Amino acid sequence: MTNPPTQHRAQKKLRNNMQEGTILAITTVSHPPAGFNKAPRNIALIKLNNGTRVLGCLTTMDSAAIGKTVRPRMQLQRVMETGLRIYDVSYEPVLMKEVKQESLDHVFPGYIIALSGPSGVGKSTVSSLLVRTASEYVERVPIITTRKGMQGDNEEYIHVTNTEFKEMCDRGEVVACTNIPDRNVQRQYGYKAKDIESIWTKGKIPVVVTEEHLLQGLSDHFGRRSLLSFGLLPPGESKRAMLSQLLHRLRKRNRDTKESIEDRIKNAEKDIDCLRERNDLFDHILVNEHLESVIDTLVGHVMNTAKTK
Amino acid sequence: MVSTCTVKLNKLFIMEKAIYIAGTGMTPFGEWWDKSIRELMDEAVEKALESAECNALDIDTIIVANMLAESTSNQAHLGPLAANLLPHAPPALRVESACASGAIAMHTACGLLESGRSETILVIGVEKMTDIAPSDISTALMGAADAEKDAPCGLTFPGIFGLVASSYMNEYGLTREDLSLVSSRHHANAAKNPYAQFRNQVTPENVTNSTKVADPLRMLDCSPISDGAAACILSTKFASSFRLAASQIATDSVSITDRASLTSFPATKDAMSKALKEAEIERDEINHIEIHDCFSIAAVINVEDLGFAEAGKGINAYKKENSSLTINASGGLKACGHPVGATGVKQIIDSVKQLHTSKKQFALTQNFGGACASCAIHIIEQV
Repeated sequence: MTNPPTQHRAQKKLRNNMQEGTILAITTVSHPPAGFNKAPRNIALIKLNNGTRVLGCLTTMDSAAIGKTVRPRMQLQRVMETGLRIYDVSYEPVLMKEVKQESLDHVFPGYIIALSGPSGVGKSTVSSLLVRTASEYVERVPIITTRKGMQGDNEEYIHVTNTEFKEMCDRGEVVACTNIPDRNVQRQYGYKAKDIESIWTKGKIPVVVTEEHLLQGLSDHFGRRSLLSFGLLPPGESKRAMLSQLLHRLRKRNRDTKESIEDRIKNAEKDIDCLRERNDLFDHILVNEHLESVIDTLVGHVMNTAKTK
Repeated sequence: MVSTCTVKLNKLFIMEKAIYIAGTGMTPFGEWWDKSIRELMDEAVEKALESAECNALDIDTIIVANMLAESTSNQAHLGPLAANLLPHAPPALRVESACASGAIAMHTACGLLESGRSETILVIGVEKMTDIAPSDISTALMGAADAEKDAPCGLTFPGIFGLVASSYMNEYGLTREDLSLVSSRHHANAAKNPYAQFRNQVTPENVTNSTKVADPLRMLDCSPISDGAAACILSTKFASSFRLAASQIATDSVSITDRASLTSFPATKDAMSKALKEAEIERDEINHIEIHDCFSIAAVINVEDLGFAEAGKGINAYKKENSSLTINASGGLKACGHPVGATGVKQIIDSVKQLHTSKKQFALTQNFGGACASCAIHIIEQV
């Protein structure tokens, strides 16, 4: 049984393993040794891009094979008797189609910027401003939705019927979808893989506005490492203060009915909780107090990505 | 650092004295719940002394080969434990090199005999593995791999060889059906061996359909967990019809992450080329080989690394029998059982039996530890 000091030394080396690699050999160990979860473990010998070879767990065997590319992600491996929680780098097979190198001369291939946060926090405003400020590098991905169009909607939405939405899902075109119910109707939202991939082929970074399920769906389809995920929060010391700030903003923008605002606030509470509970889905949490500073931060990330490429 | 160089620049040491195998004895391998590690050693030693010209008091040194006694029997300090099985309690020491402990203990004995520090050495290989739970033995055996590079992801030894098998199948197109021929042959051989743990016939279909252990390896691809002891008396003083014509060892990286390839084990090639030079024979003069088939894929790779088949063609040795070269006629590790410390000594005992029966001149044993991080090759000559 690996002891805590051994684990500590191994953890110190983890950073070196946080990079893409290629599977050299692969197996599923049906009976893991004592101290590990009893579920079969998918283990691969991986040649990382820096030339070193490592042994690591695969998050899934779907599309895993010798020669396939994998990307790293941190995953809880086991909880030791002492209560020590051991995280290790796991590798997930890259599912998406690789974008042609020549079409991507200034961005990291397969990168998506995701903006999440409670209703009214300013996701749409931020994404519009980001796209306007860095139009050379980023483009907004249209949201497919079954909800009716309303005043204030811009080109970000593509309105479809419930049947059309279901058909798109059945054909596997929608990679991430969620249902955000109103008190009267079910409202579906989703993103199409084709829309995201077509932005990559233009050499740009797609920007998506998400919540927990959409983010999870995108992460499942393209891999967590392909998301640069930002959580946006309203200013406020406590949840109550944040919600009051949101209520104020929703009333001020004068787009929703009183009932709709109540629904949105209910959903917003869940969204704020999600930012805390699902912190694995977020790379950065930004407080949207000064819009300019949020945009500056985002543009900074975009420019960094463009430079490192 | 990945090792890319398979040519070792080690100096070749040649046997300086004739070392005879003066006596041999072993327990049957199996699940011996009513026998302790001491009792297993005692039984093997008694049989070895019975078969020898010399008597107990002629033994001047004891070497015990063992890997896991601390984990499985709470018993370390096996040297003196074994010494006290003899009336004069001679000097004793223990050698550990994972699954190659047995053969590396034989190699250690050769060094002492050649230097003149000893004249007659009793080498005992012993392992008591069935006293603890399978998951614990699996963890204990992982001690033979790299604790910081291989073990943290939850890999087991079947897992390591599952990776080896997947890599080999991908590179050479070996099929699952072909791989099943290996265990089937070893079981057929063991049917005639009263010391084997499993003497039942197994068809290739049985192997293919057995439970998955570490994809693509199945349960019947894996050597079992066994108890057993084997003892061999080596002497420069008491001549016999069998001598060690070569004893060579080689090493490789412990972690498979430091290997350039998983489809060949350079330590085997290294030890083999040195052993042939030491024995001053050609490969085709060898009539019997006992190879380390801890997993069926290892047997295929070993046949190639020993030079009896080209790379990727090792399975052909199992597709049709070759009367001039027997492979694991004892049943190998798969069917005889694999009490890890005892295996290397047992292989030499079986080779002696095979030469005695066939009246041929040369037999070879290959015993390795971990994923062939340590390897020992012995050539036994009937004189």
